Amino acid sequence: MTTIRKFCCNDLLRFSSVNLDHLTETFNMSFYMTYLARWPDYFHVAEAPGNRIMGYIMGKVEGQGESWHGHVTAVSVAPEYRRQQLAKKLMNLLEDISDKIDKAFFVDLFVRASNVPAIKMYEKLGYVIYRRVLRYYSGEEDGLDMRKALSRDVEKKSVIPLKRPITPDELEYD
Amino acid sequence: MSSALAGKFGYAGGMPERKVRPIWDAIDSRQYKNALKLASSLLTKYPNLPYAMALKALILERMGKPEEASSICLEAKELLHKNVTLLMDDLTLSTLQIVFQRLDRLDLATSLYDYACGRIPNNLELMMGLFNCYVREYAYVKQQQTAIKMYKLVGEERFLLWAVCSIQLQVSCGQGGEKLLGLAEGLLKKHIASHSLHEPEALIVYISVLEQQAKYGDALEVLSGKLGSLILIEVDRLRLQGRLLAQSGDNAAAAITFQKILEMCPDDWECFLHYLGCLLEDDQSWCNDATRAQRCLPESLDKIPRITDDLFNSHIQDASAFVRKLETEASGDSKRGPSLAYLEIERRKLLHGVGDKERLMDALVQYFSRFGYLACFCSDVEVFLDILTPDEKINLLEKMKESSGSMSIGPTKSLGQAISLQKMQFQIGITYKLHDAELESLAVKMINMYRENLPLSKDLDPQESMHGEDLLYMASNILVQLYWRTGSTGYLLETVMMLELGLNIRRSVSQYKIILLHLYSHLGALPVAYEWYRSLDVKNILLESFTHQILPQMLLSPLWEDLNDLLKDYLKFMDDHLRESADLTFLAYRHRNYSKVIEFVQFKERLQHSNQYVIARLESSILRLKEKADNIEEEEGVFECLKCGTQALELASGTLCDSLTFNEELQLRPWWTPTPKKNYLLDPFEELDHPTDNLDHRKEWETNVREKLEKRSLLPRMVYLSTQCVSASIKENIEANGSECGSIFSLEMKSLLERYVKILGCSLDEAVKVLLDVAEGQRPLEALGTDLIEWVNFAVFLNAWSLSSHETVLPMGEESISLWHVVNSLLQKSIESKVRIIGPQGCSPGGARDLSVLVQLIGEPMAWHCLVLQYFIRSSLPCGKKKKKSGGPADSSTSVLSQSIRDSVLSLYSIIEVVVEWLKKEVNKTDDEAVDHLLSFLVSDSNEGPGKVYQALKDLISTADEGELGDRIFKGINSWSPTDIARKTFKGQHKMMSNFLQICNSKLKVLEAIKQQI
Repeated sequence: MTTIRKFCCNDLLRFSSVNLDHLTETFNMSFYMTYLARWPDYFHVAEAPGNRIMGYIMGKVEGQGESWHGHVTAVSVAPEYRRQQLAKKLMNLLEDISDKIDKAFFVDLFVRASNVPAIKMYEKLGYVIYRRVLRYYSGEEDGLDMRKALSRDVEKKSVIPLKRPITPDELEYD
Repeated sequence: MSSALAGKFGYAGGMPERKVRPIWDAIDSRQYKNALKLASSLLTKYPNLPYAMALKALILERMGKPEEASSICLEAKELLHKNVTLLMDDLTLSTLQIVFQRLDRLDLATSLYDYACGRIPNNLELMMGLFNCYVREYAYVKQQQTAIKMYKLVGEERFLLWAVCSIQLQVSCGQGGEKLLGLAEGLLKKHIASHSLHEPEALIVYISVLEQQAKYGDALEVLSGKLGSLILIEVDRLRLQGRLLAQSGDNAAAAITFQKILEMCPDDWECFLHYLGCLLEDDQSWCNDATRAQRCLPESLDKIPRITDDLFNSHIQDASAFVRKLETEASGDSKRGPSLAYLEIERRKLLHGVGDKERLMDALVQYFSRFGYLACFCSDVEVFLDILTPDEKINLLEKMKESSGSMSIGPTKSLGQAISLQKMQFQIGITYKLHDAELESLAVKMINMYRENLPLSKDLDPQESMHGEDLLYMASNILVQLYWRTGSTGYLLETVMMLELGLNIRRSVSQYKIILLHLYSHLGALPVAYEWYRSLDVKNILLESFTHQILPQMLLSPLWEDLNDLLKDYLKFMDDHLRESADLTFLAYRHRNYSKVIEFVQFKERLQHSNQYVIARLESSILRLKEKADNIEEEEGVFECLKCGTQALELASGTLCDSLTFNEELQLRPWWTPTPKKNYLLDPFEELDHPTDNLDHRKEWETNVREKLEKRSLLPRMVYLSTQCVSASIKENIEANGSECGSIFSLEMKSLLERYVKILGCSLDEAVKVLLDVAEGQRPLEALGTDLIEWVNFAVFLNAWSLSSHETVLPMGEESISLWHVVNSLLQKSIESKVRIIGPQGCSPGGARDLSVLVQLIGEPMAWHCLVLQYFIRSSLPCGKKKKKSGGPADSSTSVLSQSIRDSVLSLYSIIEVVVEWLKKEVNKTDDEAVDHLLSFLVSDSNEGPGKVYQALKDLISTADEGELGDRIFKGINSWSPTDIARKTFKGQHKMMSNFLQICNSKLKVLEAIKQQI
């Protein structure tokens, strides 16, 4: 029993139960608002009865040619609402928009190489580790670039894993 | 050369791109020195080229040289105005614009663009630049005019929408009347007739314009027409349609629409409520405005059903049938929607008077057996419990307990269910009715349950929340309840020990940290509380919604340095956002997300009017005055920055106070302090049914904030005027003809004093009488109530004012009383009584509040009075020679005054000495002595009182088994040390005392210096 709707500015003032989690980054305002101003369809919040915020997802769509893709920037669920597949629901929503509205080829995301529970969850959702990005997080920890192909990528070319790890300056997008 | 040509030939602002690129690269990588060198040499090559000048100005501004940057910019602007042959492209202007914006001179940028648009008409790029300037200035009418010009020039849909948004902004955030919406509608209609619409967002705006005018039928027609296909996601279109239908009053059609949505998204709770609301015709959630800020569930409890029983029954049957269908389709799925929908139907029936409580309770038990293991179970069913009587709730709980006993589920789910049952006990208020001993054993039970289930988390990743974490949280609520009831500090310390253990086991449980933060505050160990607060990594927008957990305590503490950091970080965040918000609004315009434009502007206004923002600005001014009060030269610098206190007066002007917003997220606060104003633990124990969110507290807090702001906003100005009144009075004594300036100050001071006491609830005459009575011992100090600080402040200001005022301040018959004496007496009484109350216990839980009053007494009224004395000395000393020469009647009054001053200095000195003596004793306590004292609270020698939980914790440690728990949990448990925690607590208390001692010592020094000079 969840209401998923587009995220709006006022939600920023109500999401501390989600963001106090140490793995959830609280970005600066221009970051959130740039996402809202540019990709409002990729920013959703889930609410429980009584208007409690359960979690949210933010993302964007970018790239050229066959690398036109949806990107998950953050997905986070408050401790109280974990273990009920909310993240999956939010991810499916973003994938759907990337697939049907923006006709993207794939969806990708970055995850800390040490965040095993998250990696496992993404794998369950159909993501594969496409490549490793060396020292992606604050120049220290490696990141994993995970991808899931969408219907437009019929041959699933976008998710064939790269053989070698790359460095952050080789990344196509920020 | 036009900028288009410039781009084509690799030119930028009139020079080759390759020459400019390295400068921008250097700026981007913050190598400003290098950038400046390059820009200067470029300027020698291209003297008087505005773009080169703009670049140099930009760099200088970044290097922290605003004056130089400003003068170059102005020079460039001048040049552009004078010399028509000069290049005037967007690149040059936008670079100048950046600098002007950073120099807070948006107006200059706007006038420059305005001029450019006039000189080079029909240049779209420049017009967009101008539009952007108006967005930055929130000049909606000008925005609209510029957008229309652009629209007329190129006929593009987006510019029309820019104009329409600007109109909507005039209506929702500006001065524009709703009539303007008709104009917006007309513009859109005309455009649609000739060009149609092509962007989904354009359609959304069009519909919202119609909606704002309550033209729901028209909106529905548009939506169902060809344009409707612009909304690609079917559910989104249906939601919009349902909303419009409901608003238009066509409940039947709206219900069908919502039903369609539910078939696609059976878990959408909000949609289900709308569906039911439309079906039963009692949905009021559309009534206000359609903005997201107003989202709330229909408060059905106080609603009178409008449809007949027959109709109700038939509709509710339809709803039940529909929910059954959804349930069958969703069976096996984890979707809770249909199950909860069924509960909601039963609730509605009861509200209508046709329900059956047994059925609701059975449904709740069923819901429990399916979803009772979820952490959110209790919050899910909260609304359904409200309808039951206390006995029915107890009955329900019993049934749930029975059902959980009969189920065979895995250990994790079983633990989840057990936790939900415990939470239910809290929720329905049973826990608060238990006897002390029962409560205590319940807490022990929870700890044991936590211990027994720890092995379940053995293989979890350290990042994941562990099973049973809620148990310690619940136990902490019980223990604090026990502390409140019994006043035994031991319970408080047990809670601290327990949560510290929990955090040793897993470092990042934020709910533990929040509780600890408040407990350490209460124990007078604010530095430790602050440390936990910082470990939560509160930043950016969380500073607005979460800082209330620590800021109020910090404002009353002697931790001025930390307070300063806290205020600075917060204000920086807010100021940065308010500065950059308009740029983000323009970004929304550019990306054609028009609905975000309105949202961003409204959000900016919401933050701008934040009560916390006003408080922080005000308090940081006051803090600066407090910090520098012992050095008259530095204090004058502060006065200058604060515009002699007028800035603070403006801060809390009437209009702002009326439109204050409260953005604090109160939900995460502990039960005993539901708002920053209310703290049950400071009041005597009272039976509470259910001390959770309380709307009265919220209102009480909001009123208190407004009052407090009004009082505090007068303070800086009154401090300033006090010093001026003193200086003027000396001058007057010396120069017999008096000073004009002095009487202006004196008049203003009088009106502020009147305002000040009005907030305290009396007239000036009455207030003076109260002061005299308390000072003379005819009324007890307690007569001043909770506004003690304000009263003593008032006495100080009154005395300062009386020096320069020619009016009689004292009532008839009491003219002989010296106001100096009144101030001394009040300070002495209030300060010494607090020292006495706190006594040798130092920072005991109860003492923390008195300590904060003491800190304020010394930090504010005492400081202001010392400042008055310093001004007196400074104003009289350099003129010493003159004074001697002048002779005459002034001499006798001066000598009376000098005597009063001398007395006051001596009195103040001896008052602070008392505090210093007491503080020294506190500060000199040894660690070991204090730690032993703290730990002694945890051991009880009888069967009653605290100690059992502590024992349970020790059992947890002693029985921990590495094999069973895994290395990580085992290590965490073993690193727990009660002695270390006690030591940490003491050190926190100690830091409070030593910081306070420093403040007092500094005051002593000042007084010593004054003594020397008298």
